[in-house]
Amino acid sequence: MALQSVLSIQGRRSTGSSVRTENVIAASAVANIVKSSLGPVGLDKMIVDDVGDVTVTNDGATILKLLEVEHPAARVLVELAQLQDEEVGDGTTSVVIIAAELLKAADELVKQKIHPTSIIAGYKLACKEACRYIQNNLTISTDDLGKDCIVAAARTTMSSKVISVDSEFFGQMVVDAAMAVRVSDGKGGYKYPIKAVNILKAHGRSARESVLIDGYALNCTIASHAMKKKVIGAKIACLDFSLQKEKMKLGIQILLSDPTKLEAIRQREADITKERVQKILKAGANVVLTTGGIDDLCLKYFVEADAIAVRRCKKVDLKRIAKATGATLLTTLCNLEGEEVFEVSSLGEAAEVTQERICDDELILIKRPAARSAASIILRGPNDFYCDEMERSIHDALCVVRRVMESNSVVVGGGAVEAALSVYLENFATTLSSREQLAIAAFAESLLVIPSTLVINAARDATELVPKLRSFHHSSQVKAEHEKLKYYGLDLMEGTVRDNREAGVFEPGISKIKQLKFATEAAITILRIDDMIRLDPEQKEESHYQKARQQGML
Amino acid sequence: RNSRPVLIVYRFRKSRLEMANAGGAPIMVMNQSTQRESGRKAQLSNIAAAKAVADIIRTTLGPRSMLKMMLDPMGGIVMTNDGFAILREIDVSHPSAKSMIELSRTQDEEVGDGTTSVIILAGEMLHVALPFLEKVKLHPTVIVAAYRKALDDCLSTLETLARPIDCENREEMLRVVRSSLGTKFVSLFGDLMCSLALDAVQTIAVDIDDSKKKDVDIKRYARIEKIPGGELSDSKVLSGVMINKDITHASMRRTIENPRIMLLDCPLEYKKGESITNIEMLNPADWKRYLEIEEEYIEKICKDIQSFKPDVVITEKGVSDLAQHFLQQANISVLRRVRKSDNNRLARATGATIGHQPDLMHESDIGTRCGLFEVRKIGDEYWTFIENCKDPKACTIMLRGASKDVLSEIERNLHDAMNVARNVICDPRVLPGGGATELALAAALRSNSQSMHGVSLRPYQAVAAALEIIPKTLIENCGGHVIRLLTELRAKHANGKHTTWGIDGVKGRIVDMEELNIWEPFLVKSQTIKTSIESATVLLRIDDILSGVSKGKRDPAGGGGLQQQQTDPETFGDERDG
Repeated sequence: MALQSVLSIQGRRSTGSSVRTENVIAASAVANIVKSSLGPVGLDKMIVDDVGDVTVTNDGATILKLLEVEHPAARVLVELAQLQDEEVGDGTTSVVIIAAELLKAADELVKQKIHPTSIIAGYKLACKEACRYIQNNLTISTDDLGKDCIVAAARTTMSSKVISVDSEFFGQMVVDAAMAVRVSDGKGGYKYPIKAVNILKAHGRSARESVLIDGYALNCTIASHAMKKKVIGAKIACLDFSLQKEKMKLGIQILLSDPTKLEAIRQREADITKERVQKILKAGANVVLTTGGIDDLCLKYFVEADAIAVRRCKKVDLKRIAKATGATLLTTLCNLEGEEVFEVSSLGEAAEVTQERICDDELILIKRPAARSAASIILRGPNDFYCDEMERSIHDALCVVRRVMESNSVVVGGGAVEAALSVYLENFATTLSSREQLAIAAFAESLLVIPSTLVINAARDATELVPKLRSFHHSSQVKAEHEKLKYYGLDLMEGTVRDNREAGVFEPGISKIKQLKFATEAAITILRIDDMIRLDPEQKEESHYQKARQQGML
Repeated sequence: RNSRPVLIVYRFRKSRLEMANAGGAPIMVMNQSTQRESGRKAQLSNIAAAKAVADIIRTTLGPRSMLKMMLDPMGGIVMTNDGFAILREIDVSHPSAKSMIELSRTQDEEVGDGTTSVIILAGEMLHVALPFLEKVKLHPTVIVAAYRKALDDCLSTLETLARPIDCENREEMLRVVRSSLGTKFVSLFGDLMCSLALDAVQTIAVDIDDSKKKDVDIKRYARIEKIPGGELSDSKVLSGVMINKDITHASMRRTIENPRIMLLDCPLEYKKGESITNIEMLNPADWKRYLEIEEEYIEKICKDIQSFKPDVVITEKGVSDLAQHFLQQANISVLRRVRKSDNNRLARATGATIGHQPDLMHESDIGTRCGLFEVRKIGDEYWTFIENCKDPKACTIMLRGASKDVLSEIERNLHDAMNVARNVICDPRVLPGGGATELALAAALRSNSQSMHGVSLRPYQAVAAALEIIPKTLIENCGGHVIRLLTELRAKHANGKHTTWGIDGVKGRIVDMEELNIWEPFLVKSQTIKTSIESATVLLRIDDILSGVSKGKRDPAGGGGLQQQQTDPETFGDERDG
């Protein structure tokens, strides 16, 4: 379908059904890649880049990010996964699978000569209705379930990851970490800035020996070996400038006419810093953290004052430490009067600062800071890939914990929500007499892809289990006395249907709602396309020299 | 020509993600260069790669192990039987093989010994999973769960098998170090190396305040100096430090008994200020004055130094000719441009504090614990010895030997031995060696498995079988009869009583480790088992290998978490002179 010379662009154009089919195939190709990583029995992917670096992961967003998908429609799905990752942090695999399935169903309908706009309208309606239904009927308040459900939610998200076997251990750790960084939002609620949980990785030992530290771990070493390795009752000064010999800024020259003054300048350079150090020490600081360097010259003062000094800390780390300990991160010692002072109030406090050896490396641990609790997780594992994947899993789990605690509600996992929605939407579809009925029915059908993928990954019979699950949910919706059955989901280890509320398989409700919304929107975006023009890459003009040569001018 | 060992176990089926369109032209979803291997094929290739890596170093396990000789790309030679040193040199391309090699690095950094066992064990853990994937078609997650359970059981069994050891008892400690060195090249030289390692570690061990634990920093405070020439038996642990430097001025004293030592990290020469200063001189006398100031400055710091009456001054920076002159007049020997790390060791050995400004020093900063300062010529080089220190907390180990390559291997062995000693000091528990521990674990797992049911039973038992690879390899390497000896041992261990019976790796017969006195540190054994089983679980979970994605867009943080880079560990000084 080469473009005729009507338009003055070079490229290929495809229109109508062919472009739609092509898009759908591309989208399902992407979904197929991540399909096998869904669920507690999903497996991991190993991704090797051209340099040979290896990533082992189960996280949908990470897989797709590393894959370099080129097809434009498929890229939409990749971005979709990224969006889900940023918004919710979990459920990235499901969202891609659902979107691809919605597209597949839509393509079938278009082939039956239903206009895409009708399908889009139907999908929108279905999505809205589904979200409403989740919110009204399927969410359970965490207050009804007790504290354990938060750990259970963390465990559910980790169950598909490499640390699934230790999910109990890590679930508790993640919840503790999230609680440690909790801050009040001033309206009676709490916020959980999970980025404040500092995650460090060190290979060695075993995964079970990962530790949660009540405080902050800093990947630096003390500046001099003569310093103490442990300070109890630490007073911490956080500085954002170097404690090096004072140096004039670039381009400033000092012109002298009296040679004896030269020595004075030298002396002054050393003294300025010395005075600064002494001011800091005088205020009572016994731990000094700086983003800049510290001269050997100044180290001695710290050693003599029995203080720990740490140079070249990262600024982000220092900002967090300052917050946690109640210190002020100082960029200069100057006050408004132009004097250099170090206020006692800008010191932070912590119960203990120590340097500990972990693996072949040293870490500075700031334990039990005074102003706010902080959390650091040190992950251990057999090798770096393992630690990397653990970090991603812990991050996902933290996101889930945050969502659960912020919204105070969960839904039941294991395909329960999808099955319930599918039954509900099918009934809902029959109440409509318009064209949208077909689209909504298709939407309902598509949602079943989640339970059936789960079952297939567990190597069970999807044709047997999924209908069974649906029948449970159907009776829960029609018979009032069977209402409890709406919490039934899949048990993939045993290959049966069970009450997942009892089993403790929970997901944050917001994650499910966002999944549906994002997937529907992505599907709609792709459905609307009926024409694709692919421009040929611009022909590079050959250089004049080469042209001249070819023409035999040289 | 230069035969760099290259392991080729990595071939991808060219299966690009292409899907035939109705129109005929394939839809390219992904980058053209991406190759994919998925499903069972990926799992099998992972296992094959891991096994291939393990097979390379199998022959280096045990007392009858052989060395490997490798040529590196620069043309240098490495002769070793240290698992990590071998794998480090090998260039592998299969991603799983790479992750295997990482394991031995982890082991090396965490405990410093057992780098060969960890690879062999991890390879075998994967290998025994093969029939489950291929024939029984068990789901990998089931195998992983069973492995994990087996790991937990192994660790709890290890606790019961372990026996305490008295760190103060030299005989017992030597025994443990000897077991580790027994498999190495230096075992030919008997107990010498064992006592070297033990002495060094005991020298540098310091108590962590208010706890019973000890801190042993081998990397920083125990340095190994290799000097080719002489005999191996000349090697020794100095009760102090030696550095590869000569005194700066020929007429300074070369031998001083009970010297007072001053350590500095500042230059003893005139140094201009940090700011850019220009001097405009209008008067010729100013020029003279200017030069005088420099001299006066040096004279002043030398005076300051003299006021402490040191016999030796050691600085990390330069010393100008003029300063040398003043100090020589004052009968002070000077060493210059000493490395920061050497200076730190000197400080620990002599009890001195490193000073930065001579005028701000105190009497307490002077090191007086040293017994003898002497400059000696060994081979072609001058070495400064700071010896006979009272209670030194740092030391240098002087190794003498035939050639550089031999010395390098001895150094590696000594490192392992020191790490073994450190591990025992940190956690004073030992386990029987010679495969006895592995057999005891296997027996424990087997008896546990009798009360288990369900699909996870067989992978759980497989772990027991995999653990036997260690005694099996030991038997193979000494030419014993594998089946006969192994069944005999299994029978011994079956009732759970003879947990110390293992293989005599030299004679190839079964023996009680109590008699043979082969003991290994608890930390090394438990780390080996943890690492090998956990790494097997991560490789088993993989069902898809995608390769060829380009580096450009990568972000290893993936989930968006904080990425903490491992920083260079030994950066002490900010300003260093050239």
